[in-house]
Amino acid sequence: MELVIDRVSKQYKNRIAVDRVSVNLKEGVYGLLGENGAGKTTLMRMICGILRPTGGTIALDGTDAGEEAYRAALGYLPQDFGYYPEFSAEDFLFYIGALKGLSRTSARKKTKELLELVALWDVRRKKIKTFSGGMKQRLGIAQALINDPRLLILDEPTAGLDPKERVRFRNLIESLGKENIVLLSTHIVSDIEHIADKILIMKSGRMIFEGTWDRDKGDLESFYLSLSEEREPSVDRGMVKL
Amino acid sequence: MKQFGMLYRYELKKILKKKLVWVTFFLCMAISATAILADLTGSYYVDGEIADTHYNMFLVDSGYERQLSGRKIDQELLREVAEAYGKIPKTMDGRYTLTEEYQMYARPYSAIFNIARKWSGMDAEELLCWEADERELYERKEEIRKACCDQLLLTDREKSFWEKKSGRTEEPLTWLYHEGYAVLMRKLEMLGLLMLLLTTVCLSGIFPEEHMRRTDQMILCSLRGKKDVYRVKMLAGVSISAAAVLLMTGLTVVLTFGIYGTEGFEADFMLFPSRNMYSYPLSIGEACLIGYGMLFITTIMYGLFVMVLSELLRGGMPTLAVSAGLTIAGMIYTVPGQYRVLAQIWDWLPVKFLSTRNLFDIRLLTVLGHGFLSWQAVPALYLLCCLVLAAAGGRIYRKYQVSGR
Repeated sequence: MELVIDRVSKQYKNRIAVDRVSVNLKEGVYGLLGENGAGKTTLMRMICGILRPTGGTIALDGTDAGEEAYRAALGYLPQDFGYYPEFSAEDFLFYIGALKGLSRTSARKKTKELLELVALWDVRRKKIKTFSGGMKQRLGIAQALINDPRLLILDEPTAGLDPKERVRFRNLIESLGKENIVLLSTHIVSDIEHIADKILIMKSGRMIFEGTWDRDKGDLESFYLSLSEEREPSVDRGMVKL
Repeated sequence: MKQFGMLYRYELKKILKKKLVWVTFFLCMAISATAILADLTGSYYVDGEIADTHYNMFLVDSGYERQLSGRKIDQELLREVAEAYGKIPKTMDGRYTLTEEYQMYARPYSAIFNIARKWSGMDAEELLCWEADERELYERKEEIRKACCDQLLLTDREKSFWEKKSGRTEEPLTWLYHEGYAVLMRKLEMLGLLMLLLTTVCLSGIFPEEHMRRTDQMILCSLRGKKDVYRVKMLAGVSISAAAVLLMTGLTVVLTFGIYGTEGFEADFMLFPSRNMYSYPLSIGEACLIGYGMLFITTIMYGLFVMVLSELLRGGMPTLAVSAGLTIAGMIYTVPGQYRVLAQIWDWLPVKFLSTRNLFDIRLLTVLGHGFLSWQAVPALYLLCCLVLAAAGGRIYRKYQVSGR
């Protein structure tokens, strides 16, 4: 299984949000770092097929991001996760299950499994509007997983989670990354440091770092901050490889 | 298809969970019911004093009208009317309804007297002095019809169409009590306006709310999100519109028939005061069926328009503003009759079309040499609009890009 992102760009009138990003992702967890406005969310939206690139292509095992088969393999947790306040957690997951093409039986089974996994089973019939921020975020994670996605895109998934939930979430992602492609973006470097097989760093729309990281190389956060503080990367400077 | 049913139920749930939808629905139902009952409330004043209650007047007059039911408006009936009205003292200066003679002799014939006034174009004073003549009455009616054709700048082909229809009308016409259907016809335009309001409120949020709540991202990246969700949302919107219009119509019909009775389906449409020149062979019951069928189609089409507009404008409030603007413009402006095509198109707008004047317009739509009446042509045009709107909306929906948040 391989996600091929080939020279993908997104340009708005006079601003380049993503600039010729090329990267190949195979099974594993990929941590995407970058300061605000670096282009992480834009890149993730393009990977999810909800934002059309100005240039370049995105394909999963040869299937283009615009195709139905691609969407069938996709799970996505947006940064600004939206929900229906009047729906219960159970209803919400049923609805997302239907959207993702699950039969009633499968949707019911997966809903139970996931609500237990994110510790929301006891409040499954409560309206989402009564949930705390952390509970909503856990529900968001559950909806992204309902179709057993082969490609899982998580934009700031740990926002709003308490430390205990964060640890549980990391373990979940780690296990999912064994057989699937998981791309997650975050500001919290420690989240990625522990579970990501590969680190991707974006700055000003460009991918400025792509590689593995281990403790022998030093502190990831310091490295990330040093890259962030550098001048704008010039076109001919290329990518930092470690 | 299984998911389609599940998605459809959830879309209905999203709409029906909104308080605003229910508040507007019950408000419209209340206005509709009140409008029917209001005609029978209050008192009738003469010279500042209460003469009678409207309810009692309705009971008395409807009793007299029922007594005349089934009689031909011929020389014999006209003579009876003239004799009865002849008993009213001549010195009452137009306030003849206050006399005892009117109440005793003339009032039982007031329905025929009023029809004769409309058909002859005479005012009450002239008609009181007129010597009853069946042939003259129907000739005057025909002259008024022809004058109306000239006034509306009808073409020779259109005039000939109505001439033929008029020639086929069996005269003398038969009077039938038909107040229930007349009330339904009179309330149609108001119901149309209420439905436009209700449809706009219920459906203007279906698409924009997904953008506002940011659920659009999850929908659009899901397997069924691009095609099925659009269809499901449109179907849910149409279902809500259809259910609302059926409930409103049901309430109106039940209340109207409950009060005014169901008799008179077969009464000739020319007995309906504002359409006395409409010589197309149509009963008032059939006209009601056409009118309320058109109300149904108009509501559905307007619902589709609102949904597509809301996806185009990406907001419920701009949609409400545009929709309210169109409704008000339709109510305020009238295109002068000399701009024939523009005037006709303007009168076919949903906000205007449900008035009896436009629904039963004598101007035709000529297509390939064949003349169509407005209630024959407009439903087809509305259905065509529905298809175009649905296709255009689908394109706008699929092309939507999530960006800039």
